[in-house]
Amino acid sequence: MPPESIYDAWLAHEALALFEFRGGGVFEPLAPLPAWCVSLWQVGQDESVRLAEKSPFLENFLAEAEEFWTSPTRGARNSGYWVEQDSQGQQYPLEASAIWLAGKRVLTVRSLPGAYRGQQRLFQTAREALLTHERLLREIEKKEILLHCIIHDLSQPLTSMRSCFDLLLGKVAPDVAKFVMTGHRESQRQERMIRGILEAFSADLAGDQSSTQAAAPSADLVSCARRAVEQFAPAFTQRGIQLILAPYWDSERGSRVVGDAPRVDRIFGNLLENALRHSPTGSTVEVSLEDGGPVMTAFVDDQGPGLPKDSSRDHLFALFSKAGDHPGKAGLGLYFCKMTVERWGGAIGAENRAEGGSRFWFRLPRASQESATRSVATDVKSPAAPLSLETAWKPVDKARHIVVADDDEISREMVVEVLRARGHRVTGVVDGRAALAAFERIKPEVLVVDQHMPEMDGLAVARAIRQKERQTGAARVTLIGLSGNASGEDELHALEAGMDALLGKPFEPNTLFQAIERPVEASRPAALPTITAPPEDLRSHLTRMTGGDEKLARKLVAGFLADFPTKLSAIERAVSHRDADGLASSAHALRGAFSLFDARQSGLAARNLEAMGRDHRFEGAAEEFRTLSADLSRLEGELRALFPPSSSPTKPSRGRARSHKKP
Amino acid sequence: MESIFDETYQTTIGVKVDKKVVSVDQKDVTLVLWDIHGEDVFQKMRMNYLRGMSGYLLVVDPTRRQTLEDALALQTRVQEAMGPIPWILVLNKCDRIAEWEIDLERIGASERNRQAVVRTSAKTSEGVEEAFWRLAQAMLHSPC
Repeated sequence: MPPESIYDAWLAHEALALFEFRGGGVFEPLAPLPAWCVSLWQVGQDESVRLAEKSPFLENFLAEAEEFWTSPTRGARNSGYWVEQDSQGQQYPLEASAIWLAGKRVLTVRSLPGAYRGQQRLFQTAREALLTHERLLREIEKKEILLHCIIHDLSQPLTSMRSCFDLLLGKVAPDVAKFVMTGHRESQRQERMIRGILEAFSADLAGDQSSTQAAAPSADLVSCARRAVEQFAPAFTQRGIQLILAPYWDSERGSRVVGDAPRVDRIFGNLLENALRHSPTGSTVEVSLEDGGPVMTAFVDDQGPGLPKDSSRDHLFALFSKAGDHPGKAGLGLYFCKMTVERWGGAIGAENRAEGGSRFWFRLPRASQESATRSVATDVKSPAAPLSLETAWKPVDKARHIVVADDDEISREMVVEVLRARGHRVTGVVDGRAALAAFERIKPEVLVVDQHMPEMDGLAVARAIRQKERQTGAARVTLIGLSGNASGEDELHALEAGMDALLGKPFEPNTLFQAIERPVEASRPAALPTITAPPEDLRSHLTRMTGGDEKLARKLVAGFLADFPTKLSAIERAVSHRDADGLASSAHALRGAFSLFDARQSGLAARNLEAMGRDHRFEGAAEEFRTLSADLSRLEGELRALFPPSSSPTKPSRGRARSHKKP
Repeated sequence: MESIFDETYQTTIGVKVDKKVVSVDQKDVTLVLWDIHGEDVFQKMRMNYLRGMSGYLLVVDPTRRQTLEDALALQTRVQEAMGPIPWILVLNKCDRIAEWEIDLERIGASERNRQAVVRTSAKTSEGVEEAFWRLAQAMLHSPC
């Protein structure tokens, strides 16, 4: 050992032990050993030592070190940190390096308590920050859901209050009526305020204040899908599952949809997490996109066990819903997806695939028609125009016998009272089975059924009644569904079940009257009555839809007038040639703009045609087409009256609908 | 013993070497424990640490689903590198079972497949001794 020198003092200061490897597991100190080394390993200052016997960690590392010393590699081989403790419980954070020094195989071992604790603090802080971040994300999601629930619960009674004011209005003296109108106006104002709070809070929770601005946010669905696949690919790979993004070619319309990108990312994330949880090793999960004209649809297909038996869509996407006893997450993910997508005017669903596995999908309106498409989900829910004495309803000319089925007493009584005030004969029942019994016993002309009732829901009631009618040849009863959540997809399900219309709660009494009092046609599912709205009503509607932006309204009208003849011709062609796929896609492509113009008859006709196309069913299609064409002629006339060609920036379309041939 | 099963546990950097004596078949067995940091975005595990290993505990925080995914992915890599040596899946925080996010059906399937799973709590010490005892027993009776 060399005599003590400044070099030795420096080694001691650095708490650095320096050994030469002599072969056969033997190490010899090259300098006086630091105190920690003596204390921990009980090594004498001038003694050779078998370090592998002193430290289990070094036993492991020395195999690496010997590899290094026998290889031509130069530089150093580092062990990384490890911690050992001596017989007194004193802990020593250590780090070893194998190096070549002056032709000798040298092992350095250093005690680095300060650096170790520094790094430990850094990692601890980073990990705690990560945990806090995860916790906050979960809190945000829970609060968001809670907020939606509160908003829903606050909104529901307002519907009843507003209807009560409506009822009172026809029964009180004019000097009292002004107070009733104030109550009505204030309840409307509160509804608007609640929705405003929801919008503002949702934007805040998403960390995106931009969504409170006039323009709805938009997201590029292709980019979101690509980002999600890239983000989740490592997790899938770890589980031995292939995650692929199916090729998608951008159309000239682009791929921007209503919605903000971080939330669309979360929707993809939730669906992919769900797929990851249920996919077996060796399977493939595919994300694909579909251009549906005014909407875009994203699919996540897996090859897992499929959806649980007896799991309805409502259950699957319900709050805190979990598959069986499956813990998974808190049951919020799919609920979040549903709430978010539907708030943007879209829809979400899941089904079993014929080839095995499940398919989850969500559909969002294109951003280019955001004002129009946002209204799809909100048109029946949005606050009504201010009530005036002139708009208070008058007794109907022809009273109908109506059965109202709703398990919620207040909602049921409200509908019953409103319809009685209108002059109808009304029977209220408490559930779906009672509705069926009443149908048999009373033979009503109209049934108004709540969509969600225990034991037998509205859809089941509709199916049972339609089946009964087919079996007995009885006259077709008018079936109106009520739902607290009437998305486009819900409406489609309702129509497929045999309902004539689905109204979202809250709804305007006049909307209910229109649905009920239209002529019943036995040959086909009836649509809502023609809405002969005078031009000024259409203008008001457009103004509301576009937030008073006349330039935008003109642009949308001009675009629609230029575009719809081609689409209408495509429907006509598909009906003539009995082209089912063509009918479904062309009818679907035309539907998007109808809510913008409050063209409900056109919307329902197009929806019926789309359903016929999907079902390869052409009976009544020609008639449905004529209904559509006629209503579009009316709409075209009204739109041209609102925005005459001279004031329109785009050239008027050449005459079309009126000259259509009958298919 | 200060370890991952202590509530005041500080994050591990690298390896912490410790010892524990357990009684198996009426004999004292000394376990040399290597508490190796978990894998996350901040640290990746060095597979060289595993040389000479006779068995291992994989500790999961079930209130964070991702930790189970990470642990099982790690187990696959360990098995590829070391072959089939005994291991125990340790589900910590069993005192907070209502907050668990992991797929219990999957855990049940593993147990039915003879994979040892022990539920532990750093707060109450529940299951900690059992985890070490079962690992020691599995190592002693392992044909490997």
